[in-house]
Amino acid sequence: MTCGNASAGGCREGTMIVLLIGMVWLAVGLTSCGGGTSDNPPPAAQETVAGIDANGDGVRDDIEAYIDTIYPPPAQGDINRALRQFAHAAQATMIDASEPAPSVTHAAERFRALECVMARRPGDFHLIFVELRARVLNTPARSVAYLRADDHVRSGNLALLPADQWVGACL
Amino acid sequence: MTRTGMRLAWTLAWIMAAWSADSAHAQIAPQPACLNAAAPRTAIFFVNGVTTTLDEARLNAGKLELEFLNRLPTMSPAVQANCHVFSLNYNPTAGEVNDFLEATQQQLGITPTSFWLELEGLGLFTPSLIRDALQGPMTDLNRIDTATIERHAATYREQIASPSCRRVLVVPHSQGNLYTNAAYDLVFGQPPSPPVGALRIVGIATPAQTIQGNGLYRTSTTDVLINAIRLIRPATLLSNTNWGVSPLLLSRSYSGGHSFIGYLSADPSRAQILSDIESSLTALAAVNPC
Repeated sequence: MTCGNASAGGCREGTMIVLLIGMVWLAVGLTSCGGGTSDNPPPAAQETVAGIDANGDGVRDDIEAYIDTIYPPPAQGDINRALRQFAHAAQATMIDASEPAPSVTHAAERFRALECVMARRPGDFHLIFVELRARVLNTPARSVAYLRADDHVRSGNLALLPADQWVGACL
Repeated sequence: MTRTGMRLAWTLAWIMAAWSADSAHAQIAPQPACLNAAAPRTAIFFVNGVTTTLDEARLNAGKLELEFLNRLPTMSPAVQANCHVFSLNYNPTAGEVNDFLEATQQQLGITPTSFWLELEGLGLFTPSLIRDALQGPMTDLNRIDTATIERHAATYREQIASPSCRRVLVVPHSQGNLYTNAAYDLVFGQPPSPPVGALRIVGIATPAQTIQGNGLYRTSTTDVLINAIRLIRPATLLSNTNWGVSPLLLSRSYSGGHSFIGYLSADPSRAQILSDIESSLTALAAVNPC
């Protein structure tokens, strides 16, 4: 192992970490040998990109249920609303993924939602996002639609709000 | 270990990581210099890597801004005198992420949900997946997109030139380092050339062999992806930081040691990156951009 400018202590620490990672990698591999994860595939009716949104609020029912279970209102009302804002924008993103102009608009909407999430949970927003997005993109069709929409934003950059204005991005 | 046991372990790691990453950002105040319209402006750009979607790129730029603002009160007066404007120079990677998604489904048989949970994790950074889906974009200069490089370079030139007259710091992650080096060459390779030193780079998790403009960089000893790239390209810059004994390395979302968020959540990498940014901004403050 090379440590460059790192101290000798840092090198030893790094070696220990590499060993630790090896153990984790093995554990991950064993899990994969078990036939993958136990994530249940959604019922056939939910496998369309849009899925089921019985109350018509622009957020899939399974995503609403997830958000309300993990971040129940009113105790976690702020982050609950922020995640619904993202889920709403992500749903529109997937549905309009073949259209360039709406894709750019929805990307900006997602940015505002993510700025709201960062304002509400600045210490752990990324893990919260990763867990939610993994559920939003729970089928190959939804994953592909999400990525196709991103492809429409390749020609330009979207404006970012400065951190002191993130709260203002919350709807 | 049973699947339930693994899930409990991951959950524990998740909680520990979240606890560790938490910091006091209760109220995000504006930078003092930004309240002064006459204060000089410095643009700080984040450039994303190959496994980064648009949403991830926004969050990475946000993390950079949050950590910078936390550190700003202790930075040099020359840095504090500037108003720092954060931006994203997006490197479109949807095609590569899609290739990676397809490869993981074919080779590991995992669900899309697991893919998105583990996009930066050790479980996906296997040698065969790196070889099949990531090695090319991370090492082949012919595969980086010319239009993107030109767009990035034009953005930097516009920031430096009048009427903006801003100094520019670029913080690229992973493959973004290749784009940033190429954009740097384009900025200074065409007339009129901006003042020397008006554009600086602090690279993170770089697969490159150099940082243009004598820029600084940090790559972790525990970065599985860059370590694999270095096996293929031995001239890749050496590791010079690490994540300590961070619980992030046990989290399925960060265990690959490559995540930008991870680099800015674990120490000493976080502290060293912020020090590199401070010294680069101090050097930039001595340059008159136009």
